[in-house]
Amino acid sequence: MKIRNSLIALFLTCAALTPARAQEKVVVQYDCIPNYANWGGVTAQYLKETGVRVPPDMKGSSATMAALEQEKTNPQADAAYYSAAIGYQAAGKGLHAPYKPKGWDAIPAELRDPDGLWWTVHSAHVAIIVNTAALKGKPVPTSFADLLKPEYKGLIAYDDPTIHGTSFTFVYGINQVLGGGADMNKGFDYLKALDANIVNYPRENSYNDVLRGEIPIWINADGNGLKMKWTDKAPVDVIIPAEGTVAAPLVMALVKGAPHGDEAKKYLDWCLGESAQKTMAESFFRPIMNVNLGELAAKFPPASAYRKAVAPPLNEMAANADAVKARWVKEVKGNR
Amino acid sequence: MLKRFAAIASGPLLLAVLVVLLVWPLICLVSGSLHEGNSGGAWTLDNYTAIFQTRSSRVALFHSIWISLGVAAAAVVICLGPAWLFVRHDFPGKRIARAVLTLPMSFSGILIGFLCVIMLGRIGVVPRLMEWLTGTDYFSGTAYQLGGILIAYFYFEIPRATLSLESALRKLDPRLELAACSLGAGAWQRFTLVVLPQLWPALLATFALTFCVSLGSFGVVLIVAKRFSLLPLEVFEQIIAFNRYPLAAAMSVVLLAIALCASLTARWATHRLTHVR
Amino acid sequence: MMTPATIEAAELTLERAGESIPPRVRARRRSTAKLLLLALLAVILLVVISPVIVVVLGSFLNTSFLGLSSEQWVGDGTDANALITFQWFSYVLKLYQPQLLFSFQLAVLSVVVCILIGVPAGYLIARGSFPGRRWLEELLLLPLALPGIAISIALIQAYAVIRGRWYFVLFGHLIYTLPFMARCVAGTLRSFDCAALERAAQSLGAGPWQRFFFVVLPSLRHAITLGALLVFAVSFGEFNVSFLLMTPLTATFPSALYATYTFNSFQVSSAATVVFLAVILPVLALIQWLGGDELSKVEQGA
Repeated sequence: MKIRNSLIALFLTCAALTPARAQEKVVVQYDCIPNYANWGGVTAQYLKETGVRVPPDMKGSSATMAALEQEKTNPQADAAYYSAAIGYQAAGKGLHAPYKPKGWDAIPAELRDPDGLWWTVHSAHVAIIVNTAALKGKPVPTSFADLLKPEYKGLIAYDDPTIHGTSFTFVYGINQVLGGGADMNKGFDYLKALDANIVNYPRENSYNDVLRGEIPIWINADGNGLKMKWTDKAPVDVIIPAEGTVAAPLVMALVKGAPHGDEAKKYLDWCLGESAQKTMAESFFRPIMNVNLGELAAKFPPASAYRKAVAPPLNEMAANADAVKARWVKEVKGNR
Repeated sequence: MLKRFAAIASGPLLLAVLVVLLVWPLICLVSGSLHEGNSGGAWTLDNYTAIFQTRSSRVALFHSIWISLGVAAAAVVICLGPAWLFVRHDFPGKRIARAVLTLPMSFSGILIGFLCVIMLGRIGVVPRLMEWLTGTDYFSGTAYQLGGILIAYFYFEIPRATLSLESALRKLDPRLELAACSLGAGAWQRFTLVVLPQLWPALLATFALTFCVSLGSFGVVLIVAKRFSLLPLEVFEQIIAFNRYPLAAAMSVVLLAIALCASLTARWATHRLTHVR
Repeated sequence: MMTPATIEAAELTLERAGESIPPRVRARRRSTAKLLLLALLAVILLVVISPVIVVVLGSFLNTSFLGLSSEQWVGDGTDANALITFQWFSYVLKLYQPQLLFSFQLAVLSVVVCILIGVPAGYLIARGSFPGRRWLEELLLLPLALPGIAISIALIQAYAVIRGRWYFVLFGHLIYTLPFMARCVAGTLRSFDCAALERAAQSLGAGPWQRFFFVVLPSLRHAITLGALLVFAVSFGEFNVSFLLMTPLTATFPSALYATYTFNSFQVSSAATVVFLAVILPVLALIQWLGGDELSKVEQGA
C-alpha cells in the first residue's frame, strides 16, 4: 500500500502547509512605500513598539483609490495614505469610514475632514531633486523654466500622475505656479514642452533610481530629496523652483469595512503620536503635530524658501482630478 | 460499482475542474469586456472601439504586435545555431552550455528586466565598462529604449526557442541529407534544399510559440519599458490607475485573441510537420 | 521509427560519404561552420550568464561604483566600506521572509494539487477514450499560450469574492502549472505501449483502478518527478498572473523581487535575486539532470 501511504503523506503536507496566518497581527496600509516619507522606517518602528506588522505596499495614491473601489464589496485594506486631493476624492466616493484619531484637534481645520473621513499626517512641497553627480557637470537647474533646456533631454522624470499623488499635485499645481487660469492651458503647455526632456514617467516610486543616478532629475516631494541629501549622504540638491512650488499635504484614512479595524485604529492613533511623527520627520516631511524635532529642524529648508508656494483648494483638485488625469494621458503621455 | 462510476466520471470531473479554473473566468472576462460598468450595466461594444480610437492603446497594440513578431523572428533565426550544435555536434562542455542556455526559462520577467537595467541602464555595467575602455559611456540608458526591450525579450525567448528547435531538429531524418550528399550537394545546399524544407513547419511553430510568450510577457516590460507602451502595460494601468475593468478586459480579450490565432497557426504547422513525413 | 542508434549510424555514413569531396576542403568547411556556430553560442552564453554573475557579485560585494544605496534603516552597524558583506542577505530575509515562505508554500501546494489532478488528467488525455477527449486536451494545454495578465483579470472578474484569500493566488498558479504536469505524464504514456501493459494486467484480472495504481503509476514515476519539479519551478517564479491577484498579505516572492527592484538599492535587489536563484537553480539543475532531452518536448508552450 505504498501508494496509499504516499497519498496520505501528500494530504498531510497539504494540511501542514496551508498558509493560515491568523496568529500574526497585521494592519494593511495601501500606499506604504518604504522610501516615501520614510514609511519603511515608520513601519519598522511600529513593529518594534507593538509587534504589529504593516507590510510594504507599492501603490501610489490613485492606485490606492482604484484598488479600494475594486474591493469595495470585499475590502482588503485597513488604512490608506494619499496625497490630500486624492484622499479627498476617495472620501467622496464613500471608500472611507469616519474616524477621529487621537490628536485630531491639533490638526488645522482645513487639513482634515470635519467628519473624520481623512486627516493630514504630514506635508511636503514639490521640488526639483537633482543628483548632481549624475548630471556630469551640467549646471543644476534652478527653476521650472530651466528644465525645458535641451541639455536636460532624457534626464528628467516625474512619477506617473495617474498613479502617484505627489506627481498629480505637481501636474495640477504647475498651472497656478506659472500663473495660468482656470482652463489649465498654461500648465499643460509647460508639461507638453517638458515631455521632450522626460526619460520616463515611472509607475513606481523612483527613490533609489535617483539616488543611484539612474534618474538624474526627479520632480517629487522635497522631503524625499532631503532624505537623500542628509540621511543617505548622496550628492543631491533639492531645488525649490524660482517660480514657486506647490504644497503637498498627505493624508490618512480608515478604510470602510477594514478587515482589521481595531488594530487599524490603534495604528492610525499611533501615526499621529510623537514617535511616529518624529520618524516621519526623519524623511523631512513636516509633521502635522507639534513635536520637538531637535537637531533635525535645522536641516529643513527655511520657511522663506516656500514664500511663493501655492496651495490649490483640495475640493477643486478632487473635483477636477479625473479630468486632469485624463487630459494628461491624452495630451502629454499619450502624445508619443 | 463505485469504481466503475469513478472511471466514467473522471473525464467530466477533469472538465469540471477546467471549467472552474479556466472556462468560467474566461466567460466572465468576455462578458465583462462587453459591459459598460465594472459591475454590469448595459451591453456595449464601446470598450473595443475605445481600444482602437484611443491613440495610446492603439499604439500599444501596434507595438506589442510588431515587437513580438520581431523578437520571435530573431529568436528563431539566432537560436537555430545553438540548437543545431546541440543536436548535430559534440564539443566539450555541451551539457553545461545547454544547462546555462535553458537557465532563463523559469526566470520571472521582472528578473530579466532587472538584469537588463543592471547591464544597460544609465549607469549599468556595460556603459561603465565602455567608459573605462573608450572614455564614452556607450549604451548608457539602452535598457529604457527600444533596444533594451528587444534584448530583454530576446533573453526571455532564448531557452524557449532553442529547446523547441532542438526537438524539431532531432526529428529530422539524416538519411535524406545522406542521399543529398551522395548526389554531390555541399553543406550549404544540403541545409537550404534538404534541411530547411523539412524544418520550416517547426520554425513556424517555434515562431508562434515565442510570439505568444512575448505578447503576453508583462514582467519584463513592467521594469524595462519606460517610454514605450505595450498592451499588457496598458491593461495593467487601466486597472491600477483608473479601475476601468471593462476596458482592461477588452484589451485582455484582444491579447487572448491574438495569442490564440498564433497558437492555432502553430498547431496547424506542427500538424503539417507530422503529416508531411 | 528513428532511434538514436540509427541516426548515429546514418550520420557516420554521412561523414564517410562526404569523403568523395576532397577531404581537406570538406574538413575546412565543416570546421569553419562549426566554429562560427560555436562563436555564436559563446556570445549567447555570455549574454545569458554575465548579468547573473554581476548580480551574484553585487549581492555581497561592495558595489558603490554602481551607485549609492539607501538602506539606512538596516542599521546593523556593519562597516559600509567593507569589501564583502553578507548584510544584504540577512536584510532581505528579515524583510521578505513572509513572502518567501508563502511562495514556497504555494509552490509545494501546486505540486501536490498537480499530482492529484494533473496526473489523472494526463492519463485521461493520453489514454482516455471518451468523446471530446481531444477538446479536453486542447483546453487543458490552452493556458500555456495565453497572456498571464489576461488570465488574472479573468479570475478577478469571476471570483472577486475570494480576493485576498491565499487560495485565490493558488488558483492562478494551478492554471499555469496543471498543463506542465499533464503534458509530462501524457508524453511519457504516449512514448511506450502502455495499452499493452494494461491489457496484460487486465487479462490477469485487474480492474481499472488497480491498473492505474499498480501498472500505470509506477511506470510514470520519472514523469511525475520531472513534472513536479517543473511545477515547483514555474509556480515559484510566477509573476504575471499572481501580481494582480494578490494583496499585501498574500504577496509572493517574485512580487517581493519586484518590490526590491523598484524601491530597494542595487545591493538589496541583487541579494533578493540571489535568494530566488538559490531556490530555483537546484530545481532547474535537477530538471536538466533528470529530464535532459525530454525537456524540449515538455517545456515548449504552444
